[in-house]
Amino acid sequence: MAGLAATFGSGAMTNSISEFDEADLFFVIGSNTTAQHPLIGSRIIKACQRGAKLILVDPRQIQLASFATMHLRHNIGTDVALINGMMNVIISEGLYDKEFVEKRTEDFEGLESVVKKYTPRVVERISGIDANQIEEAARMYAGTKKAMILYAMGITQHATGTDNVKSCANLAMLTGHVGRPSTGVNPLRGQNNVQGACDMGALPNVFSGYQKVTDTNVRKKFEDAWGVDKLDDKVGMTVTDMIKAAQKGELKALYIMGENPMMSDPDSSHVELALSNLDFLVVQDIFLSETAKMADVVLPAVSFAEKDGTYTNTERRVQLSKKAINPLGSARADWEIICEVSRLAGYPMNYACPSEIMHEINMLTPSYGGITYARLEDSWGIQWPCPDKAHPGTGYLHKDKFAKGLGTFMPCEFKPLAEVPDDEYDFLLTTGRIYYHYHTGTMTRRISTLEREAPWSFIEINPADANRIGIRQNDLVEVTSRRGSIKARAEVTPRVPPRVVFSTFHFHEASINLLTNPVYDPVAKIPEYKGCAVKIRRCA
Amino acid sequence: MKSIDKKDVIDMLKDWTNEYHVLCPNKKINDDCIFDGFEQDHFTLDYGKLSFCLKSAFFPQSEIIFEVEDNQYHEVISSEKTILFGIRACDMMGILQSSSFMSRDYGDVYYSAKDDATIKVVMACPGPQNETCFCTTTNSGPFAEKGFDLQFFDMGEEFLVEVGSKKGKELISGELFTDIDSGDAKGKIAAFKKKASEAIPKVDEIKSVMEMLKNGVVEDEEWEEFGQKCIACGGCAFVCPTCTCFNVYDLARDGSGMRVRGWDTCLYGGFTREASMHNPRPTQGSRLKRRYEHKLKDYNEQDLQGGLCTCVGCGRCSDVCPVDIGILNLVLAISRDYKSG
Amino acid sequence: MSKTLSICPFCGCGCNFYLVTKDQRVIGVEPSPKNPINKGMLCVKGWNAYEFINSPQRLDHPLIRKGDSLVPATWEEALKYVADRLNAIKSKYGPHSLGFLSSAKATNEENYLFMKMARAVFKTNNVDHCARL
Repeated sequence: MAGLAATFGSGAMTNSISEFDEADLFFVIGSNTTAQHPLIGSRIIKACQRGAKLILVDPRQIQLASFATMHLRHNIGTDVALINGMMNVIISEGLYDKEFVEKRTEDFEGLESVVKKYTPRVVERISGIDANQIEEAARMYAGTKKAMILYAMGITQHATGTDNVKSCANLAMLTGHVGRPSTGVNPLRGQNNVQGACDMGALPNVFSGYQKVTDTNVRKKFEDAWGVDKLDDKVGMTVTDMIKAAQKGELKALYIMGENPMMSDPDSSHVELALSNLDFLVVQDIFLSETAKMADVVLPAVSFAEKDGTYTNTERRVQLSKKAINPLGSARADWEIICEVSRLAGYPMNYACPSEIMHEINMLTPSYGGITYARLEDSWGIQWPCPDKAHPGTGYLHKDKFAKGLGTFMPCEFKPLAEVPDDEYDFLLTTGRIYYHYHTGTMTRRISTLEREAPWSFIEINPADANRIGIRQNDLVEVTSRRGSIKARAEVTPRVPPRVVFSTFHFHEASINLLTNPVYDPVAKIPEYKGCAVKIRRCA
Repeated sequence: MKSIDKKDVIDMLKDWTNEYHVLCPNKKINDDCIFDGFEQDHFTLDYGKLSFCLKSAFFPQSEIIFEVEDNQYHEVISSEKTILFGIRACDMMGILQSSSFMSRDYGDVYYSAKDDATIKVVMACPGPQNETCFCTTTNSGPFAEKGFDLQFFDMGEEFLVEVGSKKGKELISGELFTDIDSGDAKGKIAAFKKKASEAIPKVDEIKSVMEMLKNGVVEDEEWEEFGQKCIACGGCAFVCPTCTCFNVYDLARDGSGMRVRGWDTCLYGGFTREASMHNPRPTQGSRLKRRYEHKLKDYNEQDLQGGLCTCVGCGRCSDVCPVDIGILNLVLAISRDYKSG
Repeated sequence: MSKTLSICPFCGCGCNFYLVTKDQRVIGVEPSPKNPINKGMLCVKGWNAYEFINSPQRLDHPLIRKGDSLVPATWEEALKYVADRLNAIKSKYGPHSLGFLSSAKATNEENYLFMKMARAVFKTNNVDHCARL
């Protein structure tokens, strides 16, 4: 999200889900939408059937590929080059929106000078996409007024993730495809409340509403409201920094609420070492996850069905979810547990119910100022920014000006993957989710039907590669990277291109993150899950 | 014959709740209409066709069928005296066909216990409830011919109430109901039925496609084309009044536990995957073919309760499909593609 | 049987559905017909989003580590232990020796309180969540 915040001033999906129905073109890059956001993917399929165009950029032959006007199966990790190539065509053929660029953006010259080098011929060599196709995609996107860019983790989970996002933003600004309905740059958020966790300031650098911890006035506001003094004025550690600090013995205690980094973080063996190096680990969860098993204290929380609360979906819509049953056993809601721990640590937190917490959020968070329980109970949610109780919410961002004023072009140079295949590790492993499971599988793998649909881990491998190595459908294979090794069944399928294998991180029995490369985007600190070098062999 | 003033319907339902769990149309926030337990503040008569058909009253999405505690096993056959108020004729036909299916061969005690304890009150439709209704084609509406305990006909200010069973007759013995001249009422109902039937569009392609499927002329490519866009959500089966497939699974911990059965569907790949990992229906197209042939072809020699096939023409599979498959689009496509051949 | 409006927990779409409950068990889901996101539809995860809630593997009491194993404890013990240990580590090594990982699956209110706890109670900005993963 750092990329969008830098270019536009706000790191959220610019437009709304309902606007998909009116769009004439979708540029989908790094999102297996029908699997990860099925009810958005289905809208894209329906739109294609009514004649909307779809430019799909994905190395895998995903379900959307059957509906794509163009499917660009680029080499993994060459997104920046590909988008630069498209912008090169758009500028050299004069297809960009000169008025928009002039009035609404800054630093166009900088972009021009960088993308100049990325001619379709040059990009063809990097990305593996035919130069003519790059030109055609560029013309198609630039020439369609209602064109939406969509991306997901395929863009962000790279060491160059921020650059990838900036490139998408550059492309939208160059063509003026932002600030109108059915346009924009639309990151699809993976988890049900990633957007909300960010909005609420569960980040090392900001309080709720992206108010910076380094800003004295902001800190003063929170100090006054919270009745404390001397709030920390330095940016804290990200999750990846914390793991490293724990390894070095600098971080002594970690309190984890509802996450499972043992499964979700790259290079799991190192995560395990880091967590076991802590003096004190608290895990608050609904199941005894792989991470909870390592804890000193495990606090049983309740599921979404047992509490009231709001969640913010990918289109910034804050929605109320109501308590349907009483807590199981003696489990308690996360917010109740936090209040108790705080009280016992010497800071009383007195909230009778979540709506009282929301009231405090309203007071301290400008973008959530008007999002009250009274309004949520009587509506289908409210999309932020919503500064006051009379404000209807915001369907699309950056209407007349960008959140930061002028949009800033931030040109990026192509950088190859941190780890590329060589003679020994001769395949590229890319990871993602499948349709039937969610995240580390703690919930979906406890649903019999979903578990039956997808009971085991698998490694997708191209038939040409499988033939060469002697791997048949469903054979047990061993996949090894420089960091670890797992065994899983082979799925021989042309869905993956030659020399690429795909797997998922849902299965603790074959935890793919034992293999992945812990190199991070320097800004967003997102690991490169989408590409690392592995070797593969059939188990005897 | 009896009638009841529309304004007295709430009192009627209140009366019924003394003895029964009453499921009826409720309007939740922002006009969201669903079947739920009677609540005066939410009850509505303006509900059209609800997206769920209430088969869950007999066949819940999941239910415990036995429990084990300290190595003691006991079966759980749950039922509750229930009134379904306001189901449509298509729903009634679905219940009739499902009840017939569930009592064939090995009777399904979990289903029949609930079926027996439930009173069905049908609200006859004055016309199509949305653009996907085609019950006159499948002989399953817009009014019920049998199976109901009571059937209501909307006459503007009042409902005329047709009695279908003894239990139904007892329900309307109270003072909220007025005796009316039977001959007069019959005439009004006949006129209502005629007008309603004429208002429902006929989908002649249903019959022609049934014939094509019977003759095996529809090729797999046709199904695969739909299979390409199917996202295998299972929604069409879950909302279908005549889909009754289930899976059983055990939830256990420390020597105690339970067996649960829950809705399942032939549209899920794992439904037919064998232990060897071979799947006789390996593609989504083949699964769609299975499901829709079941509705339009396979069961036509069975006890259909007067219906045309095991599709009851409610159109819900068309309403619920995220990618616009559904029986109507399927039938229209097949009919178009195979008309000449 | 009763139905309560809720939000699907399985992706960022935020589809609205009713949780169908009976005797304090969630026995099914029913998509909300009119909401603007899913309009009465769901995906395979949404249609099956009920079973894990009543899973027998749900944690139902706090656990504290004694040697190699986690043993049941009361809430009072567990909460006090957490607060005391965090305070002690903070006093000994400073607030930056503490880390807080919040959840992209928890509610807004809980994420807000969690970051408030890290910042106001334990005086550290070492708070993050797994959005990146």
